[in-house]
Amino acid sequence: MNKVLMTALTALLAGSALAADPAFPKAPSGKVTLEVWSWVPGLDKTVQAFEKAYPNIDVKVTNLGGGPQTYTKLLTTLKAGTGAPDVAQIEYGFLPAFVDTGGLTDLSTLGANNYRKYFVPWTWGQVSPDGKAVFAIPQDTGPFAMVYNDAGLKKYGVSVPRTWAEYEKAAATVYTKSGGQVKLGNFYATYAPWFMALAWADGAQFFKRDGDRWVQTLNNPTAKKVLNYWYGMIKKGHVGTLNAFTSDYWNAVGAGKVLSNMEAAWGPGGYAGSLKDKTAGQWRAANLPQWTAGSTVRSGNWGGSSNVVTAQSKNKEAAMLFSLWLNLSQSAISNNWVNGGLFPASDAGLDFAVLKDKTKNPSKFFGGQDISAVYARASRGVNVNFQWAPWFPFANDNFNKQMDLMLKGRLTPDQALDAWQRETLAEAKKQGYDVR
Amino acid sequence: MKPPRAVPWLFLSPFLVLFAAFYVAPVLYAGYLSLFIKKRAGFGPAKEVFGGLTNYVRAFQDSDFLASLLNILKFAAVQIPLMIVLATALALALDASRGRLQGFFRTAFYLPYTIPSVIAGLLWGYLYSKNLSPFNQITGRSFDFLGSDVVLWSIANIVTWTWTGYNMITLYAALQNIPSDLYEAARIDGADGWNLTRFIKLPLLKPSLLLVLIFSIIGTMQIFSEPFVIRPLGYVPDNITPNTYLYLVATRDGNFSYAATLAILLALFTLLLSAVFLRFTRRGGDL
Repeated sequence: MNKVLMTALTALLAGSALAADPAFPKAPSGKVTLEVWSWVPGLDKTVQAFEKAYPNIDVKVTNLGGGPQTYTKLLTTLKAGTGAPDVAQIEYGFLPAFVDTGGLTDLSTLGANNYRKYFVPWTWGQVSPDGKAVFAIPQDTGPFAMVYNDAGLKKYGVSVPRTWAEYEKAAATVYTKSGGQVKLGNFYATYAPWFMALAWADGAQFFKRDGDRWVQTLNNPTAKKVLNYWYGMIKKGHVGTLNAFTSDYWNAVGAGKVLSNMEAAWGPGGYAGSLKDKTAGQWRAANLPQWTAGSTVRSGNWGGSSNVVTAQSKNKEAAMLFSLWLNLSQSAISNNWVNGGLFPASDAGLDFAVLKDKTKNPSKFFGGQDISAVYARASRGVNVNFQWAPWFPFANDNFNKQMDLMLKGRLTPDQALDAWQRETLAEAKKQGYDVR
Repeated sequence: MKPPRAVPWLFLSPFLVLFAAFYVAPVLYAGYLSLFIKKRAGFGPAKEVFGGLTNYVRAFQDSDFLASLLNILKFAAVQIPLMIVLATALALALDASRGRLQGFFRTAFYLPYTIPSVIAGLLWGYLYSKNLSPFNQITGRSFDFLGSDVVLWSIANIVTWTWTGYNMITLYAALQNIPSDLYEAARIDGADGWNLTRFIKLPLLKPSLLLVLIFSIIGTMQIFSEPFVIRPLGYVPDNITPNTYLYLVATRDGNFSYAATLAILLALFTLLLSAVFLRFTRRGGDL
């Protein structure tokens, strides 16, 4: 009897783990070719499963490698009114700028809102700012957690900080005990979204729609609190200011000179890939330190992307079907994680077994820890009401200018944020936005 | 019998067609674009409306654009003379030397030019990175070559490295073309070494030097790839050169009309600079 029950239970559990994909919209009939621009590694392999399920739809993937050039190309084709793909990949922060060109399809007209329930709530807020129009289908996310070199922390006798107060103390300890050679953390001074994610975790709002107008508060009190906190540690030398994704940074981390950092869910893949054998197995992921100790984890998001359907597409239904399939079907989510390290925006996707595979990177690099559990918790703790403005690309670059002046000691953190607010506001007004 | 009038035009036509399609048309289109401005009402995409000279007025008040012009002038004032003196010295040295090593040096100096500027930027980007730079490792310092105060001069170094050899080849070719009877006559008059250089080589090199200088001025105004490649490595100001700035205005801010305006102003500025330079050197006589 017991055995029978166990078998039944196991079967039930297995069944739920392999939950069926949601019912996708009906595919249009006739031969359809979709052109897709993306920077996800191995996407061409992922779409083979789609072509098998929908034999009349042919998907042509162009991998543009990501980075500013990708957006340049897309923006140019949208502006030119010709040459754009059916589906393209855009990060959340840059989405409003593309909405602004008028070159994207409002997917709510094709019934996209029926799929809202399958996504992590905050991701839908990113693609549907007013809760009606839907400008993209969420793809991957970058909820924030802390990655740390466990062996390094043990060496200096500090425990994993759970609050920012503990983090500050730990940073001082590591600095002192290592004679100033090792830093607990690092501040990415040329990535505004990194800083914004930290403030996002504490409820900060940088842009908001106000009826027909915009409100911009880049120098909001939370942002000032967060920046002053980090600047204090930077000035004492307790945290570094190496630039993200540079060989300088990877070299320092690999040599054990940087012991932790706040990274998005797609970050651990970068650590596993860039550090290879150096410090492999020594790393772990933990919740983002919190301002107040408590049970609920609050987090922000850095990066992540969505799939848009352009207004130029001749097969908008098929293009939306593909975008939904790419981000909600088990096979695509699994492939995107394995090949590209994309952390899913699909709510069910957060619990997929493939994310927890200890024998594969990035989990393997993280000593076999189920880091996806940490990031899933982070994703569910991301503040839902966070909006971006169409002029964010400018704000993104202007941040670097102000941080440069701050690190040179020419501006205080408060002055730097005030200047960021002032110069970006002036630019937004020049671009014709009704903003205050 | 005279050939029909159409014949020269027939031979010219491939050039004229390409010139019209890839030079005249884009310039006219840029001029047309520059007359429009964006207008917004509430949310949604902006409308492009005719704005007359609004964009031009804005450009003359745009501190970023003016700063970028000032940057490139500073850059040109230091980098071009340095590079030309170096290239001339190398050309003279090559011309004076004999033997098998001459060919080797000629190739070695020219080699950097064959490397695409994007690759050169990446290569130097590594050499400049604070903690990995061999320069810093040898000297035991931690100088930030990519710091926003010095990055303009780090870029000047890349440009000099790339273009000195190219200019040297032009000047060297000009030196090779000097008829040898001039040298013989000078030697009979008792000239040698420095005198030969001072009174024969340099005066006869003048037309080539002018050519090299004009090309350098035009090339400097167009600098783009080096700062663009270095940007991801640290903080490089948006307005480090006019071209990076107008590229960002177009592709980051999505303001193609204003970028077109800046491009036209930059072209006019370059033209003006070249004209002033030519005027000045013609009146000045010997270098």
